[in-house]
Amino acid sequence: MDTLLNAEEREFAQQMRQFYRTEIPEELRFKVATGQELSKDEMVTSQRILNQHGYAVPNWPVEWGGQDWTPVQRHIWLEEMQLACVPQPLPFNVSMVGPVIATFGSQELKERFLPATANIDIWWSQGFSEPNAGSDLASLKTSAVRDGDKYIVNGQKTWTTLGQYGDWMFNLVRTDPNVKKQAGISFLLIDMKSPGVTVRPIQLIDGGHEVNEVFFDNVEVPVENLVGEENKGWTYAKFLLGNERTGIARIGGSKVNLARAKAYAAVTKTARGTLLDDPLFSARLTKIETELTALEMTQLRILSTQAAGSDKPDPRSSVLKLKGSQLQEDISELLVDVLGPQGLDFVDDRVQGQGLSDLPHGAVDALPAYFNTRKVTIYGGSSEVQRGIISKALLGL
Amino acid sequence: MDLELNDIQQELASTLSKYLRSEYDAAKREEILRSEEGISREKWQAFAEMGLLGLAVPESYGGADMTFNEVAVVAEAFGRSLVLEPFLATAVLGTNAVLLAGSEEQKQAILPGVCEGQTFLAVAMLEPNLRYAVEAPETTATAAADGGVTLSGEKNNVLGGDVADHFVVTAVENGDLGLYLVAADAEGLTRVAQRQADGLGNANLRLENTPAQRLDAADAREVLTEVIDLGNAAIMAEAVGALEASLTMTADYLKTREQFGAPIGVNQALQHRAADLYAELEYARSMALYSRLAVTSEAVGAEKDRHRDVIAAKIVVDQAARNISQESIQMHGGIGMTMEYPIGHYAKRLTVMTRTFDDADSLTAELAELGGLVEPHAADLS
Repeated sequence: MDTLLNAEEREFAQQMRQFYRTEIPEELRFKVATGQELSKDEMVTSQRILNQHGYAVPNWPVEWGGQDWTPVQRHIWLEEMQLACVPQPLPFNVSMVGPVIATFGSQELKERFLPATANIDIWWSQGFSEPNAGSDLASLKTSAVRDGDKYIVNGQKTWTTLGQYGDWMFNLVRTDPNVKKQAGISFLLIDMKSPGVTVRPIQLIDGGHEVNEVFFDNVEVPVENLVGEENKGWTYAKFLLGNERTGIARIGGSKVNLARAKAYAAVTKTARGTLLDDPLFSARLTKIETELTALEMTQLRILSTQAAGSDKPDPRSSVLKLKGSQLQEDISELLVDVLGPQGLDFVDDRVQGQGLSDLPHGAVDALPAYFNTRKVTIYGGSSEVQRGIISKALLGL
Repeated sequence: MDLELNDIQQELASTLSKYLRSEYDAAKREEILRSEEGISREKWQAFAEMGLLGLAVPESYGGADMTFNEVAVVAEAFGRSLVLEPFLATAVLGTNAVLLAGSEEQKQAILPGVCEGQTFLAVAMLEPNLRYAVEAPETTATAAADGGVTLSGEKNNVLGGDVADHFVVTAVENGDLGLYLVAADAEGLTRVAQRQADGLGNANLRLENTPAQRLDAADAREVLTEVIDLGNAAIMAEAVGALEASLTMTADYLKTREQFGAPIGVNQALQHRAADLYAELEYARSMALYSRLAVTSEAVGAEKDRHRDVIAAKIVVDQAARNISQESIQMHGGIGMTMEYPIGHYAKRLTVMTRTFDDADSLTAELAELGGLVEPHAADLS
């Protein structure tokens, strides 16, 4: 889509492309490109390099390390990052808690947390979902009861992604149980080393340990850890989730994964040639390619509206989430289908040894990724939630 | 990056919409549909006076010297109102065939009349044994003793052929594809006019040693591909107009039709399906734009990608057209089945227009053969 960019935008894209490919260690990018899991250290390393150059938190206010970029530049920053297979800066830090603190937090909270958050000296975890508060997030029950200069927190959070690495956790907690459910929620920062905080792993169907449940048992939290005003947490959460939706279509990442499935298909033999020449497979692949292009054009149209001066939240971004997540799943399925029978085992290494031939490329990650990717139509507002938004906001139903 | 309509295009869109709302509503359209010719020459004249028929034609041939972007604005508005007159056949297909392949003399002879609304054109490229394989016609062209050329063969589904004054006809001469200009009153030309399911007219033609002129100012194969690409880009714009109208009408129906004591739109089963249709509409808008960018791009090497990008776009638009037209009828229930109610007319136009030069399957196969849109690449393969 380079041809749609003006001269400055094209130059900016070139600059980002060059930066990502020279400054971020190749072995990290290779791992991302081939679907390997990154360690905490590797994620931290990558984000710190970005941060040193001002590229970790461009969406933040300039005084806290952000960039005065246009919507198109922010799009290019992210798109080129995904195309270069650069590990994305931790979303909990850069697109969730950071903007909330920067927008609604006190000066003291900003100074205390923002630099460390950008540089990932603090690893943030998200404490929103609960066992009985998923899509209906506002029905959350974890309570924070004021006791002098502290809150006493009790309850349980779940689906805490990478919570095993977490230093701090930003939470939605109920501070007033006697009002309309949205009106009694506050946004509270909790040190995960506090007594009474327990993190337990949840194993997912891909075999990995990506998410956790977190229990709070009479955890004492100083009142200065409250962001903004008490009982205004729902407003901050909606602001945060709005930020989460931009870029959630992961178009650059889908392009990389699709190119990979296609490359493997081209070297996968069938009874009649390669899989890429198989009429049914190639029809399916081709259709996915056209849909990915349609998704990208839709994102660019929304960007163009923003660039023309509209900064209103655009309900069309629900289309991006709905379609983009489905496409991620379709592409992950495509890779599994490329591998065929040799993609059906959970294995650690494609080298089998003992005189057996190596497994095909992708054999290690395709199936776990396929199962892991089921999450994308569930998180960040499930597909059903997005359809609800579209039918109400765009069709008036 | 700027993908918005410019001021002139917005003005064109709003003026035309206003005109069509008052002069081309469902009742007036119905009247035209029932008339003997199935089109209104009066309306066509009005389109000419608004300058719609020569938007992308150079001024020297009587046009407005604008671009396909403005043509697409008109096509979208026409799609919304289900305009029956042969805009696609004359102002897009025929005009571009003559513009791209005609000599200076031929262009001067044909195009001013088109821009003034006096001349209808049609491109005859489909044949009974070809399905969509237009690049290999069986119609033959033979050099005549007087230095001219005659055509023999059969053409079908010639869009706008029912009223055309001139045909651009594909034929093979000495093994090479060629384009030929044939007057509607030429000797040895038999025309059988037909009405498509969407109400637009077409014709089947039989040519028996029919005198013709060569349109050979450019390579016929390249011209034919470009004409079809432009035609498809126009179809996509028209489809967006029709899709938007269909979905708006359907959403309105869901809000007003009551069953079991409530509007049927309160049912989540219908809300979610309607949301999916909305997402498809956005995709169609995006890809209509993508094709418009492809056919208007002046970037170096853009021609190479033009055809590929247009067919990629059309695959997506075809899918949206299929889903939205079918679901619109379903969500309307029995009333959607009636000729009296407008929703079925949109479905008919969408069904026909997306199968005019190709269909989603033929395009998918072609795009795959062209290598698709994504370069295969895996970091661990080299």
